[in-house]
Amino acid sequence: MTFTDTLLLAFRNLRQSRLRTSLTTLGVAIGIASLAGMVSLGVGLQEQVVGRLTQSGVFDSITVTSGRANIPGMGGMGLGRVAGRGGRGGRGGPGNTTPTQPAAPLDDAAVARFAALSHVRDAYPTLRIPMSYQYDGRTNAALAAGIPESSRGEGAFQSITHGTFFPDATGASVMLTLEMAQQLKADAPGSLIGQTLELSYADSAPNAQGTPEFVAGVQVTRVSLPFTIVGIVERDPAPGANLGLSAIMIPLEQARAINARAIANPQAFLQGAAPQTRRYTAVTVRVTSAANTQDVQDQIKAMGFTAFSLNDALQGAKRAFLVLDILLALVGSIALAVSSLGIVNTMVMSILERTREIGIMKAIGGSDRDVRGIFLVEAATIGLIGGMAGIVLGWGVGRFINIGANIYIERQGGTAGDLFSLPWWLILGAMAFALFVSLVAGSYPARRAARLDPIQALRHE
Amino acid sequence: MLHTRHLCRHYPMGGTIVKALDDLSLDVAEGEFLALVGTSGSGKSTLLNLIGGLDQPSAGSLEVRGRDLARMTRDELSLHRRNTVGMIFQSFNLVPSMTAVENVALSLMFAGVPRAERDQRASALLEAMGLGGRQHHRPKELSGGEQQRVAVARALANQPPLLLADEPTGNLDSRTSREIMDLVRTLNERDGKTIILVTHDAALASAYARRTVTLLDGNVISDTGQPAVLERA
Ligand SMILES: Nc1ncnc2c1ncn2[C@@H]1O[C@H](COP(=O)(O)OP(=O)(O)OP(=O)(O)O)[C@@H](O)[C@H]1O
Ligand SMILES: [Mg+2]
Repeated sequence: MTFTDTLLLAFRNLRQSRLRTSLTTLGVAIGIASLAGMVSLGVGLQEQVVGRLTQSGVFDSITVTSGRANIPGMGGMGLGRVAGRGGRGGRGGPGNTTPTQPAAPLDDAAVARFAALSHVRDAYPTLRIPMSYQYDGRTNAALAAGIPESSRGEGAFQSITHGTFFPDATGASVMLTLEMAQQLKADAPGSLIGQTLELSYADSAPNAQGTPEFVAGVQVTRVSLPFTIVGIVERDPAPGANLGLSAIMIPLEQARAINARAIANPQAFLQGAAPQTRRYTAVTVRVTSAANTQDVQDQIKAMGFTAFSLNDALQGAKRAFLVLDILLALVGSIALAVSSLGIVNTMVMSILERTREIGIMKAIGGSDRDVRGIFLVEAATIGLIGGMAGIVLGWGVGRFINIGANIYIERQGGTAGDLFSLPWWLILGAMAFALFVSLVAGSYPARRAARLDPIQALRHE
Repeated sequence: MLHTRHLCRHYPMGGTIVKALDDLSLDVAEGEFLALVGTSGSGKSTLLNLIGGLDQPSAGSLEVRGRDLARMTRDELSLHRRNTVGMIFQSFNLVPSMTAVENVALSLMFAGVPRAERDQRASALLEAMGLGGRQHHRPKELSGGEQQRVAVARALANQPPLLLADEPTGNLDSRTSREIMDLVRTLNERDGKTIILVTHDAALASAYARRTVTLLDGNVISDTGQPAVLERA
């Protein structure tokens, strides 16, 4: 018997018991819908989380510190740590098991070498300068971060709540976090744009212009500079973003200049060294895409530096989502398992009803294979149609839930997004799985039909 | 054409063994028209089912056209049923959901005949059975005689040399019975098909068959013998 004829007979049988066929198919559809819906939810959540994290620019940046130590934790550049590490002169840190190499100096030459690596977009020192600001007669302390021009329009700067990014790379302009802006002007933070913010730092040079002061017994000079507030940025929710938002953001060039003189830089203070040999506590290296992070990180490590990125954390998050997907898929599979029993039941019923017909087919020359083929095709058809319907059903229910959930999320002040994602591999996978399950479920009844004794079958009423 | 030697078909039933056929030896030549008669339970249907390849012997040999059915695999038996024998039954055994032409085409389908050809052949066969106007009727829309003609057409579809009929007229009135038997005789005389007919009806047997074999308790108790003309052939 040809395969086309097998299809012909199978379809005709399915048509004959239309109600039973549709109910069984519906059962499979519900099973597949729940499975595909669950996995779709897992994938959707993963895309939401990983997607937002990736957009934040966290995963394409590498934090380089001198020596070969591993930085524990996630990279925030606290001042205390900066001082502590600086004092150790960049030697291997705690928990370092690799043999200590002579530490390469983390200076402008090193930054230039990082920048020259392939797939590197930008390399710049990570500068966090303790400064104080005067506004409305009050003086407060804040960390000023040097923001490179390459961050324009990226990560946390993709959307700027009020105002704009720095108009140029060198000017005396400043951006604030929304949180800080609200501290300054609770009712209308936006009105700060265009106003002047006085920033001051402690200069280590005794001959600098400004007011001499004594800090820890050392004579320093307070230097005040007027900055124009150009933008206000909502703090990025991504933790440990070393692109980094400090309360105050100034252009990198400004930060470099201040850093070279500020007393907060212990090396600058102790060495009084020329700017080009001055060492940095940390350097940020941005790669062209997150896929290159590991590669560049390894190259930098090979140069004798310590390099750290959140790529490892991203891989961990992806693994966690894989576990979540599997759990969701297992839950979804329960419904499919039930519906596969439905297939077995339907097929066994159908064999009982058609016993005599099977006997006739065998008496006139149908082989075991022919009979088995007919029943397997029937099961597979139920599986495929059920699978297709299930995907449509799962998609529809997912859309529906998504709309409801997003209304809720927006009311709670969150950002709406697709909680369900239906990539092509999930569609194909669900179809293949539906087919597979139905064939497994159909194999026992099909075998039973094929092995029927023709004489008994012909006697059957 | 057909040789059985010490053919047995035993059914173990609880503690005892039912010997439906016991040490039966029989030879049938090509082109014979043989009637199998005997009391109920004498083993007629059992023998016919064995020859038809629906069942397999417990012991002994059963050769049809030089091949021993006792040693055939399930697949070989299905080929035997498809190509070597055609069977008709008392209860017609048509697929109720299929039309006459579909029922006939079904056996061609198992033989892998392409659709257009099998429809045309099935239709021609029904025409030859005098069912030209009934091709698209389902079994329940046909009379008993018409249904049996469809069954005969189906049995002939793959042009088997051997036709087995198990009380084909058991459900028919005497006039229709004669029509069916005339048809079967034509197949024997005109087309040279070998016929084995199981029947209760001694008159029918003597009217149509040229040889009558009587069974009792699974064995041959009388045989009118092969006609001389056929033994020479
Ligand atoms: N599957 C079976 N299991 C047990 N015994 C069986 C089976 N099939 C047939 N028999 C027995 O074998 C014997 C022969 O049966 P068979 O059907 O061949 O008789 P028959 O000559 O065709 O009778 P009838 O004229 O009534 O149709 C009977 O005694 C019957 O009970
Ligand atoms: Mg019988």
